[in-house]
Amino acid sequence: MTSLYAPSAEDVKQRLRPFGFFFEKSLKDLIRGIRSHNETPESLEAFLEKQLSECREEANSSNLEQKTNAVLKLTYLEMYGYDMSWCNFHILEVMSSNKLQQKRVGYLAASQSFHKDMDVLMLATNLLKKDLKYGGSNDTFKVGIALSGLSTIVTPDLSKDIVDDLIMMLNSSKPYIRKKTITALFKVFLEYPEALQDNFDKFTSKLEDDDTSVLSATVSVICELSKQNPAPFIKLSPLLYEILFTTDNNWIIIRLLKLFTNLSKIEPKLKAKLLPNILELMDSTSATSVIYEAVNCIVTGEMLDESDYDVAIQCLDRLGKFRESQDPNLRYISCVLFYKIGKINTQFISQYDTLIIQLIGDVDISIRLKAVELLKGIVSDSNLKLIVSTLMKQFVDKEVAVVQTNRGVTKEIPIVIPEDYKHKISHTIIDLCSMDNYNNLDDFEWYNATLYDLSIISQDFKDTDIGIKLGDQLRNLMVRVPAVRQVTITNIIKICSLEDIDVKMSSILSCCIWSLGEYASYLENGDALINLFIQRGFKYDFETQSVLIVALVKLFSHWCNGGNVVVEDVKRMLLNITTFLDKLTHSKYFEVQEISSQMYEIMKLCLDAVEDNQEDIPMLLTDVVPSFFNHYELTPIAAGTQMQLPKGIDFDIDTPFLTSEELDEVIDEQETLADEDVDIYDSDRFSLSSTEDNHYADNGHYDDGSSGEENRDDFSDTYKEFTDTYKKEKLSNPFYLDESSSATQETTSRDIFTTDNDTEERILNPIDVVKLSKESTSVPSADSEKSKKKKKKKTKKPIVLADQIISIPGVPESDVISKSNASISPSVGSGKITLSKHTNLGDFQFNNPSNETNEDDEELHRLREKFQQQTLSDNAEEVVIIKKKQKKSKSKHSKKSKKKTKESADEEASVGLLDLDDKNETSTT
Amino acid sequence: MSHLKYMLLVSRQAKVRLMQWYTPLTPKEKTKIINDLMPMILGRKSKMCNILEYGNHRVVYRRYASLYFICGVTPEEDNELLTLEIIHRYVESMDTYFGNVCELDIIFNFSKAYDILNELIMCDGSIAESSKKEILNNIKAMDDIEGNNHLDRVLS
Repeated sequence: MTSLYAPSAEDVKQRLRPFGFFFEKSLKDLIRGIRSHNETPESLEAFLEKQLSECREEANSSNLEQKTNAVLKLTYLEMYGYDMSWCNFHILEVMSSNKLQQKRVGYLAASQSFHKDMDVLMLATNLLKKDLKYGGSNDTFKVGIALSGLSTIVTPDLSKDIVDDLIMMLNSSKPYIRKKTITALFKVFLEYPEALQDNFDKFTSKLEDDDTSVLSATVSVICELSKQNPAPFIKLSPLLYEILFTTDNNWIIIRLLKLFTNLSKIEPKLKAKLLPNILELMDSTSATSVIYEAVNCIVTGEMLDESDYDVAIQCLDRLGKFRESQDPNLRYISCVLFYKIGKINTQFISQYDTLIIQLIGDVDISIRLKAVELLKGIVSDSNLKLIVSTLMKQFVDKEVAVVQTNRGVTKEIPIVIPEDYKHKISHTIIDLCSMDNYNNLDDFEWYNATLYDLSIISQDFKDTDIGIKLGDQLRNLMVRVPAVRQVTITNIIKICSLEDIDVKMSSILSCCIWSLGEYASYLENGDALINLFIQRGFKYDFETQSVLIVALVKLFSHWCNGGNVVVEDVKRMLLNITTFLDKLTHSKYFEVQEISSQMYEIMKLCLDAVEDNQEDIPMLLTDVVPSFFNHYELTPIAAGTQMQLPKGIDFDIDTPFLTSEELDEVIDEQETLADEDVDIYDSDRFSLSSTEDNHYADNGHYDDGSSGEENRDDFSDTYKEFTDTYKKEKLSNPFYLDESSSATQETTSRDIFTTDNDTEERILNPIDVVKLSKESTSVPSADSEKSKKKKKKKTKKPIVLADQIISIPGVPESDVISKSNASISPSVGSGKITLSKHTNLGDFQFNNPSNETNEDDEELHRLREKFQQQTLSDNAEEVVIIKKKQKKSKSKHSKKSKKKTKESADEEASVGLLDLDDKNETSTT
Repeated sequence: MSHLKYMLLVSRQAKVRLMQWYTPLTPKEKTKIINDLMPMILGRKSKMCNILEYGNHRVVYRRYASLYFICGVTPEEDNELLTLEIIHRYVESMDTYFGNVCELDIIFNFSKAYDILNELIMCDGSIAESSKKEILNNIKAMDDIEGNNHLDRVLS
């Protein structure tokens, strides 16, 4: 570069530019810079900031070459998370360049950055229109670039403006343009469905295009569109069908299968024609991806009926080969499809149990995860134990995967089992065992042991729902399986007395403690348990505490009535309990406060009674307190039953239950019956409680001590009051619903509570009804336990109580069930990233005529002016670079020099990608 | 909806080499996806399958030398095997174009890598060109035009 006159430095730079000499930092310099500033994040940050400000300057320069360079660098920097939307107008300038290379950079940047900037998009419309004009052979790619760019930045308004141009271009002589147009039209149709309505035939005629690429693109677009709205494409079925069975291009076949999947969902008639052919295709092809798609098409396209065993077996057989494959991807996919088939009818997959159990032991955890989902389909009473023990082993065993490396050396790699997998197995084990109300389970002692193991293992998990689930299971066992209550309660005690259980898995406790309280009659040394809870109770969370308080009282009442208890012990225990409850009355949780103060008062009364009477356990403890709890045997009730109860039930609380004459009669009668106990308790304090006891003690141990003549009026009043509150309490407590379980029983008892002028026979009824209701319930009570146990030895499987569904006239049962389901099903998926995107096509009605003709011409005009102000008239055309060759040789150079200087990471980076592709070739197409 | 949700090229040092998003996401969501996925994928052994579940979608990845090619796909709608095939097709195309492609080629010619990707996957990831020859022809033709552009300018 010599010159006759001494050129200025600037001149030299300008002249050198065409030959690829840059004086600004090129992209390569930037990348190199980034790599050399890699040591600390701070230095990299500083470097990038500096670069960014340089880019900002360069982007403002009048030289389009410089601008392009800056935009390219910014696009690169965007990968490091630097926003580039501020230079959208500069990008637009670069896009409008006449040089293809600059245009490409511009469109690339636009596709990365133009997503929401409406101002720029408005301006881009005109540019796009200009670029779409085909003017000569060299323009093919310009148009192509514009079309690709269009598909990334399309908006409804833009689509409206551009759609006619695009439809024209479908007839282009160049397959490349036709293909690109079709893809661009896809996005336009999504945004502006009216266009598809108007140009449906023109568009679909491309299915008959000679060029495979164009055909493939058309099929793909129709396939994608049909996902949104399959209806308009049904009429294309014959043509598509023909293509499916004539083409040999697997890519197109897969697309078509997908398309038919969508179509067949809404047009069941297609099944008859397609199914045999798809099965044939499945057998003839060697490409696994086609087989996968074919099975998927049959299953997702609803071509597989519940009873269609032949087809199912055929699909499953093909999948069986996948499952045994060396390729983990095929194994994974076979699990996915298995799951789908199993969902249609679990019978289909039930015979594949051994294979699925094999898959649970796969080296790959994600395959295991999928296989675990399948277990529900194959579980039966014969293989349940095997499955569960296989799963349980995975908690503890250190597993090793044997991997064969390229050189034929075997290596052992330990399999790390992630927590979420463990978490999932524990849930699955519980689900499997409890499925269909424990239908597959016959050994409940084993299940108890499993639950215990699980609760030990699950203590390390982070989330608490497994604890809730385990507690739920234990409670369920207690309630539903009377035969194993003894075992279950021992198990529960074991869990409750575990060290640190309140820290590690407090969620299991409340159910356990409730069960202990409710079934305290199975316990002999309740005092030990009470002491344990009194010690630990303060550490429990408040929900557990509120359950614990009641449970403590239940435990206590059973313990002191269990015989061979010394009064001294009772007194000591009462002191302990009252101190404990007293402390809890200061709890900051309202619920705990309330329950503890209620129970505190009762216990206090008991304590006073014990202190009054040093020799014997007072009646308050023997009768009154137990009567709080032992009234009814609990039965499982279907979820949602409570919601079924009619709201605002009215009680007749004004009419006296017994007229005073009737009351006299009753009292006289009873006095003669139970005379010997009368004199022991005559203090007024006990009158209320002992009369309640009179009618509600279920252990048949009633006496009539205090209902002397002077208490007559008191009696009827308090009785009414009690009846009322009791009834209300029962209504609000889901566990006390069984009263209404049989309709007849309910009516009789209601009659008794509400009528007053019935016969004498009826008057005596309250006690009878209570007893009767106990006998008439099908539920085995605690008393009939022994007979149950004897029965168990004869029959193999203990009886599991099913949910009672209580039907109430006026409320349809299905309603209840749906309600209960609604109340049970948890809300899923909140807080996760949603990648879904809204398009207009999905809910577009094809039959409606289009009516929108809204133009924002004015706004466009205003923007154009704004743009013109910003752009500097810049047409520096003299700058030309021969970049291509330079780049090639440079990159080779840099590679070599890099290799010498850089560390291992770089060397790795320079290894050919395909070289080290470690033999994981798919045998796909 | 669309076929691919994104295509990421990430090195073993968890550096992003190339990213193309086919669904609109905020930068924060994008970073979250990358940050979540990388440890998951890097932790996987070579014998494990190339498909994993993440959030509401499935991720198909494949490792070539030091680079991970990661695609987000829609479960139930996408063919995971085909996605693997697309990744492979992309790598093959680049391999032919650059002549034994390596990570450095992609770093330094990232715009070319984008160009090839855009020829392969069109229209927000819903359509893939299946012919490698076609892709390379187009790229080459474009390069020629660029070269001609330059030549024209120098000569004029």
